[in-house]
Amino acid sequence: MIRGARSIAGSLAAVAAAALLSSCARPAPAPPGSNAIGYVDMTLLVQKHPLYDQLARYDRSLEAFDLSQTVPQAGVPDAELRRREAELERELHDAADRTQKLLDQKQQQYQTQEQQAIAAALRGAGFGGPSAAQIAGSVTSTAQQQQSTVATQVQHDYNSYRETLQSQDRAQMIAAQKALAARADRTYRAQAEQLQAKESALSLQLASADAPTRLALKTKLSSLALDDATREDAQKQLQDLDRKEADQVAAMRNRDQQTLAALQTQLKAQVQRDLDTQIASISKRSLTSLAQRQKTLAAQITPFSANAVGTKGQVNPSLPAPLRARIQQLHDDYQKRFQSDAKTTIADFQKTREDLSRRYAELHGIDAGADSGAQAQIADLKRKRDDLYGEITGQIDREVKLIAQQRGISVVLSDVVAPAGGVDLTPDALKDIESLHQ
Amino acid sequence: MENLITRGRLAALAFAVGTAVLATTAVGATDVTDIGTLDQSVLGSIPAFQSANRQLQQYGATLQKQYLARAQHASQADQQKLASEFQAKMSDKQRALVGPLMQKAQIAVASVASSKNLSVVLDKRMVVVGGQNITGNVRDLLTGIGDPVPPVSTPPPSHVGFVDQQQIDATPKVKAASDDFVQFKAQQDKIFGDKLKSAHTDADRDAVLKDYRKTLDDRQNATLKPVIDQTRSAIADVARSKGLVLVVDRADIIYGGTDITSDVTAKLK
Repeated sequence: MIRGARSIAGSLAAVAAAALLSSCARPAPAPPGSNAIGYVDMTLLVQKHPLYDQLARYDRSLEAFDLSQTVPQAGVPDAELRRREAELERELHDAADRTQKLLDQKQQQYQTQEQQAIAAALRGAGFGGPSAAQIAGSVTSTAQQQQSTVATQVQHDYNSYRETLQSQDRAQMIAAQKALAARADRTYRAQAEQLQAKESALSLQLASADAPTRLALKTKLSSLALDDATREDAQKQLQDLDRKEADQVAAMRNRDQQTLAALQTQLKAQVQRDLDTQIASISKRSLTSLAQRQKTLAAQITPFSANAVGTKGQVNPSLPAPLRARIQQLHDDYQKRFQSDAKTTIADFQKTREDLSRRYAELHGIDAGADSGAQAQIADLKRKRDDLYGEITGQIDREVKLIAQQRGISVVLSDVVAPAGGVDLTPDALKDIESLHQ
Repeated sequence: MENLITRGRLAALAFAVGTAVLATTAVGATDVTDIGTLDQSVLGSIPAFQSANRQLQQYGATLQKQYLARAQHASQADQQKLASEFQAKMSDKQRALVGPLMQKAQIAVASVASSKNLSVVLDKRMVVVGGQNITGNVRDLLTGIGDPVPPVSTPPPSHVGFVDQQQIDATPKVKAASDDFVQFKAQQDKIFGDKLKSAHTDADRDAVLKDYRKTLDDRQNATLKPVIDQTRSAIADVARSKGLVLVVDRADIIYGGTDITSDVTAKLK
């Protein structure tokens, strides 16, 4: 594990260098020379260090990320999102079909209206058939019926669109709430870990500073020839030392608890504010979309109603010129209206599709944002973990250097695979490290 | 992908950690002046290496995207195949980009070590005290004008031995034990992953993770430890018979040293 931590901390180039440089030519073995070489079990020493609990906490947090992202680790989209997306596609497809039917229906209606209008024009000019009043009445009735059918269909589509938007809004709000809560949780945890690390560091710092005094007192207490008064005094000094350290750490812990409580309140308020803003933004967008949609649909119905009467027909060359011109004008007029109507209907559905796709893309964006947040958290945890590991091994290295000096050992290695000789400095280093706990 | 690599090395790491605790009180009478150290991170900061690394990282990022796109709808088995395939691509690219630089660095290290009469150069990260740090000399050679010249002589005999952990891991007994553990770990990852999902408080999560760690440790002690002990003993025996003082992993050796891998694997069979 320790080797792993050190190796991972190294750069890629360093790892590659180790692999490639290690293939240098090697000679036959030979007997040793004259000096001492030592080694330490760094894994064991790290485990006995006062800050190891903090390190283990980081490891557990990292393990938690590993476990929550169990294999396969590929970025599989959320099943619920995929289902909703498919549902949306299906819904839009159905709406497109309905639009096409509506257009066919409209085309038929425009043709009928045009024919009726032309017939009326012909009759008005004295070319036979029902009277102009009769035709006008019939045309109005047909137009009202057509308007009613189209309006019902349009209203149905509008309702469907509104329901879809509401459903998307709910999903977006839930996703936003989740993402904001996760962000607040991360901030809180990060702060808690940071404060905890500082508490551990203070504890260690105090213990290190008092280590010589403590050692001297303990040495004194271990003397058999100590009189009662002196022994009592030494014990009292030792207790005072412990109390002083404990008080300082406890004071810091109290302050930290207050800081954390304040942070929690602040984060809650922040989450609520952000959520309110996001909800307002989502609602506003939806309302705007709905209003636009309503406006378009209203525009779609109104001109249809207002222009229900028209003319159509093959222009007979034997008809008088003014009548031919009137019939041609009616035909052009209806053609134009139909094309405009059709274009509006199609554009409207395209807009609906684009709008809903965009909403889904935003949903995915929130999801991806949460993922990248987790990645950032992992990177941050790893960095903190490496920093702490560096601090721990740095202190162990310093202790080992002192021991090596005292014992006249020139070279000390860690992480050896198997010591066949050499001096094991681990027990001495352990004693020093453990004294930091006291 | 990184996780797969990490998991693949798990057994090796566990083994290395386990073997590092072989106790001995014998004092080696050894010439320690011929041990050199090299801080590879310093070499990594040389512009040529940084440029190669940047290119490699960009390539890695592209590969990662491709992997995710292809692995998205693949089965677990196919994902593993894909991971191997992409890992091989990454290694090829690494060789192509970093290989020539490494070769140059290798010559520079050999040249400096030879001039200082060093028998072994170790990775600085494993040296707590002592050793001749040759990092500066090597960096100067690499950044200076012209290519470094290879030394005429081979390294002198060394009292520091090394084993290729990968080869030892590949011996039947060790492989069986590590495969068993890796399989067990994969099962536990899934089980504890589910448990973690249903843990709602920090305390619950912490308890699950502690339980997870204990489960793995117990299994490691039951299946890997006996093999580790046996291997450690074999390494120590071979080392003693060859008059070596310490044995380290090949990955920590940058230059020189005495390779005892084949003797150890033979003894393990």
